[in-house]
Amino acid sequence: MTKINTVKDLKALRKRLLKERKKIRATLVLCGGTGCQASRCQDVTDAVKNELAKQGLKRSVCVRTTGCHGFCEQGPLMVIEPGNIFYCHILPDDAHEIVTKTILDGEVVERLLYTDPVSGKLIQTESEIPFYRAQDRYLLAQNRQVDPCSIEDYIAIGGYSAFTKALFEIPPESVVREIKDSGLRGRGGGGFPTGRKWAECQKAPGDEKYVICNADEGDPGAYMDRCLLEGNPHLVLEGMMIGAWAIGAQQGYVYVRNEYPLAVKHARMAVDQARKIGLLSDKILGSSFSFDIDIARGGGSFVCGESTALMASLEGKVGEPRPKDVHTVVDGLWHKPTTLNNVETWANVPSIILNGSSWFASKGSKGSKGTKILALTGHIKNTGLVEVAMDTTINTVVFDIGGGGSNGNSIKAVQTGGPSGGCLPADKFDLPVDFDVLAKAGSMVGSGGMVVMDQETCMVDVAKYFLTFLQDESCGKCVPCRMGIDRMLEIITDITEGNGTSWQIGLLEELGSTVSQTALCGLGKTAANPVLSTLRYFRDEYEAHIHAKKCPAGVCQALVTYKVDAEKCTCCGICKRGCPHGAIVGKKKQVHAINLDLCQKCGICKSECDFEAIQVK
Amino acid sequence: MTPKVTVNIDGANIKTARGSSVLDAALEHGTCIPHLCRVPYIESIGACRLCIVEHVVNGWSKVTTSCTLLVQEGMVILSNTEKIRKLRRNVAELLVSQAPNSRAIQDIAVRCGVKEVRYPFRNSECVLCGRCVQLCPGTFGVKAIGFVGRGKDRRVESPFDIRSELCNECGSCTDLCPMTVVPCDGPMKTGEEYLCRNCESKMAFAEEQGICISCDFGEGFQCERSPQNF
Repeated sequence: MTKINTVKDLKALRKRLLKERKKIRATLVLCGGTGCQASRCQDVTDAVKNELAKQGLKRSVCVRTTGCHGFCEQGPLMVIEPGNIFYCHILPDDAHEIVTKTILDGEVVERLLYTDPVSGKLIQTESEIPFYRAQDRYLLAQNRQVDPCSIEDYIAIGGYSAFTKALFEIPPESVVREIKDSGLRGRGGGGFPTGRKWAECQKAPGDEKYVICNADEGDPGAYMDRCLLEGNPHLVLEGMMIGAWAIGAQQGYVYVRNEYPLAVKHARMAVDQARKIGLLSDKILGSSFSFDIDIARGGGSFVCGESTALMASLEGKVGEPRPKDVHTVVDGLWHKPTTLNNVETWANVPSIILNGSSWFASKGSKGSKGTKILALTGHIKNTGLVEVAMDTTINTVVFDIGGGGSNGNSIKAVQTGGPSGGCLPADKFDLPVDFDVLAKAGSMVGSGGMVVMDQETCMVDVAKYFLTFLQDESCGKCVPCRMGIDRMLEIITDITEGNGTSWQIGLLEELGSTVSQTALCGLGKTAANPVLSTLRYFRDEYEAHIHAKKCPAGVCQALVTYKVDAEKCTCCGICKRGCPHGAIVGKKKQVHAINLDLCQKCGICKSECDFEAIQVK
Repeated sequence: MTPKVTVNIDGANIKTARGSSVLDAALEHGTCIPHLCRVPYIESIGACRLCIVEHVVNGWSKVTTSCTLLVQEGMVILSNTEKIRKLRRNVAELLVSQAPNSRAIQDIAVRCGVKEVRYPFRNSECVLCGRCVQLCPGTFGVKAIGFVGRGKDRRVESPFDIRSELCNECGSCTDLCPMTVVPCDGPMKTGEEYLCRNCESKMAFAEEQGICISCDFGEGFQCERSPQNF
């Protein structure tokens, strides 16, 4: 890798790379995100490479392993350029057919194409697939164009041109103004206006300032930051460099959780490459600006995603939040002015500088601009990463993109924003994914987790799940969070076990609002959201648990009984063989019955029965 | 002389030294804001959340702890509003349900207007106020004790649970501990805990919660305003 010393060098390098790439006949883009790695995409990549070598196409056909493409449900994925042919569920054995048919003969292998579940038609290109069609992919689309381990790939698609534009053409004040005008808001959860944060940090006294990228993503079911850092680390670094130039920082940190080994690896690699090429150094490209970035790994604490706890952890102290009466933009890391932003926020910065604030502000709603990446999971057909403009309704996300409930079940609620967010019922699905609107409805956009739940989900159980998570992850420093979550969980456990009393609902509400108003940090302040939002929209379920001692969804074990439906039972005996407790009685050709004294309510009989003869009530 | 600033606490204009906290200013002036984790002359950590106040900025009030909020010229603070009293009462209820066997905690509960405890009592030996940890490793730099674990597993312990050689046996940790003095009627057995409320009648204004004037409730853990320190 040759060092570049001026902007001219960078442009020349880009030109040379593009020229070289023109010689390539076809590119096989393979998704190498964690989702596809779990479906063994590495074997597919090896098989494809072997096949190309065998056929002597190694030089003319390029294989690019990229970050997540989003449609994890269908992995391993492959897109063949030119033509944008989209193959899914690829096995290593398919390599021969793909190379001979598609690359050499230009034919499409029909059995690898995606089938539209509604029309049953085969779909050839990515843009025609309903999952992708309803999205507005800008950040995620770049994932497909670059190999995260190659800075050349990033430079070839115009990477670092936003940084050089800012560095040589836009003074820091104008950079901040541009970000302010764009209306970009923090993508990590709070939705604080990024431009305002930068402006305050820029104004804060002191020569020593820091920028931090918060990649300590820990919400259950959320992985958009991981996908960006794994798939396009240079984009995040470029955003941080622009931010550092704007506020006058000399040092940046990427705080990434250690549970994301691929993200750590790619971020490290990207920093090394940027240093070697001369984009992170003293007096970058001959300017007066010096900047460097280091990677810090998190130690596995959820609360370290909170800005002050993260900074304490970076300083080598115990990762606990501290009061933010003086903001971190003035008194942050090592008591110096610090700008901390989420991965996705940083990733949005280069495009704003390159395309202008009005381009960014043209997408989204009045208060929330741009696009947001959502991690769509749960009881839904198409799980994966989704990027939509911020005025898209939940309906579009869940039904048009997500394809509706899996197994044809109707959808009851969606949990947005991770453990700090709330549950919204199906009749609120016309709300847009907008910071202010969702907050008003008792939930939040948060970091962008979206867990879809169908009618077989008990909302009291959901609240219990999130409280258990938060109880484990609370640092325990302040009383409302430590004891409040503990007591809320105690009450909810009572309710799910059939020991609840009606006044406990009022107590839950009072306690929840106390915790959210008095807790020390963001984690505590939002910890009651799962309880408060389920109480607001699904109060009838709480009441059913308390008064009728029934769990309407049939989830809470203490409140359900298993019964054999005599009409549906075909006396096959599968349930009897499956029951580990010997609770099912009945001979051949005789309707079976469950001995309730022995039944442990494990649900194995229900899952074994092919005739839906086991009822849970 | 340190420069002075004027802050308005509950309608009274108070002149106080720049750099001091709102809680210090209030106590100095004679307004008692209930507090537990704060140790005088040590930088506060804002853990017990009892000293919450409303900080009014441009007509918007923000609930924050007065021990960590530094005074600024022209600041408006409300320490005894309906909203604050309710929040404080709920926090104190959580505390007393966790550790009924402490006179200091029982006093705080009474002072914050707790009339009943709606949670099962737990009778813990430590409420994790962190006073000892603030002083020993925090100020003295002696790492004889510290917090271990997180969330519900958080506890104060010596390193590796072995009595540390670093301990100078100064006894400051026990001096500051709110758990060292048992309630007036004697120690409560597990399963027999109750809200003591003995001294409710001693409150200066029994009907107006959160106010204590020359009370002797806080002796157990060196409350700023206990008679000893007066």
